[in-house]
Amino acid sequence: MRITKDMKMADVIQMNYMLIPVIYRFGINLGFGDKTVKEICEETDVDLNFFLQLVNTYHDKDYFPKEELQSIPSKDIVAYLKMTHSSYLNEKLSEIEDLIESLQHAEAEDEKYILLIRNFFEGYKNELTEHILHEEEVVFPYVLAVEDICAKGYISDQNRKIYDSFSISKYQDAHDDVEEKLMDLKTIMIKYLTPPLNTSLYHKIIQLLFMLEQDLNYHSRIEDKVLVPKMISMEKTITEMI
Amino acid sequence: MNNITIVVAEASYLIQKGLEAVLKNLGDNQVVQKMDKAEGLFESLSTLKPNILILNPDLFEGNTELIKKCCAKLKACKLVIISNKKGDEGKYDEDALLHYNDGQSKILACLEGVKDELDRKQKVERSDEPISAREKNILKHIALGLTNKEIADKLFISIHTVVTHRKNITQKLGIKSVSGLTVYAILNNLIAMDEVK
Repeated sequence: MRITKDMKMADVIQMNYMLIPVIYRFGINLGFGDKTVKEICEETDVDLNFFLQLVNTYHDKDYFPKEELQSIPSKDIVAYLKMTHSSYLNEKLSEIEDLIESLQHAEAEDEKYILLIRNFFEGYKNELTEHILHEEEVVFPYVLAVEDICAKGYISDQNRKIYDSFSISKYQDAHDDVEEKLMDLKTIMIKYLTPPLNTSLYHKIIQLLFMLEQDLNYHSRIEDKVLVPKMISMEKTITEMI
Repeated sequence: MNNITIVVAEASYLIQKGLEAVLKNLGDNQVVQKMDKAEGLFESLSTLKPNILILNPDLFEGNTELIKKCCAKLKACKLVIISNKKGDEGKYDEDALLHYNDGQSKILACLEGVKDELDRKQKVERSDEPISAREKNILKHIALGLTNKEIADKLFISIHTVVTHRKNITQKLGIKSVSGLTVYAILNNLIAMDEVK
């Protein structure tokens, strides 16, 4: 079901609880009473159009914003993606890490196996962190430079340098590898590891891994469906300009 | 999961969506592409290599010969025709035919049949049995951090063979990354924990 501006924000969340962290990244917090999406966006100074596109892309994997695409400034998208990144780095990953650590303390006998899981997760975390840093240091500055060039209609020396150093097609190639490890970790925990005595903690970790994976999928959908097409069309404009 | 890939070629949005919902009930499949026009259809099929093509012949204005010719080129792809006309059965050398008026159980049974046929064919290539002794040995070397070339040299086999073994191991275990395979190897006592750097 499409999320619209006149729906109550509370109903939106009832429909899909995975949106709670998403709206929070916009600075919107729970406790909305009967206010509509539009009212909340006005109150919190969030661009309504952008908000609707984003939550719909999250919510429905078949949703594909087309006409509205061009109207949203890349800097808003980048700002949002940066917020998501920091929530991964500062909250989600360390939350899981802490749980694995406490699992390790709780188990004397299986400690060895938990250590394996822990090391594996560390490896995954490092890879994801690296991927995120690459986006923040290379991809996003590029996106902003491209938008700047399009807005101004000429290429400054500084922008030229950034523009020549990267292309959005390079970014599309490198997008799948990070997910692989997370899937492997889940498979190992589900299929091959004898569960430790503290099952409730163990189950919680697995559930969090699933949620992280889902959230990451949503996240890359925004990048692939909103950011990348926008960049491709802007790159075209610039090529014609030169 | 999602072992079977399907391409749906149907002009009507309603039918397309409806089919998708039906296919969800079937499970174990994934619609990889939806097309609503004829242009580019067969070109994209050669890259997508789906297991099943669900096609409405109306897209080609019922051009039987064209459809037959193009579908014959697709190896290992089952053809399912959707039609609202009588007497279309067998006209396109299809593997199954869905009629607009078919009920849920008939459609599901029909698609199940196609799926079973696919499964039977795939079973020969892909099995869910545990990995063989040979594969265990290869896995051990992968876990120890050896490259394909090093493993090939050590076991006196070609790199190509190592790659094939690797593919089979990954498919059987459902683990893709080297670090994941290493964990598996340790859990199953193929290598000791302190052997890994």
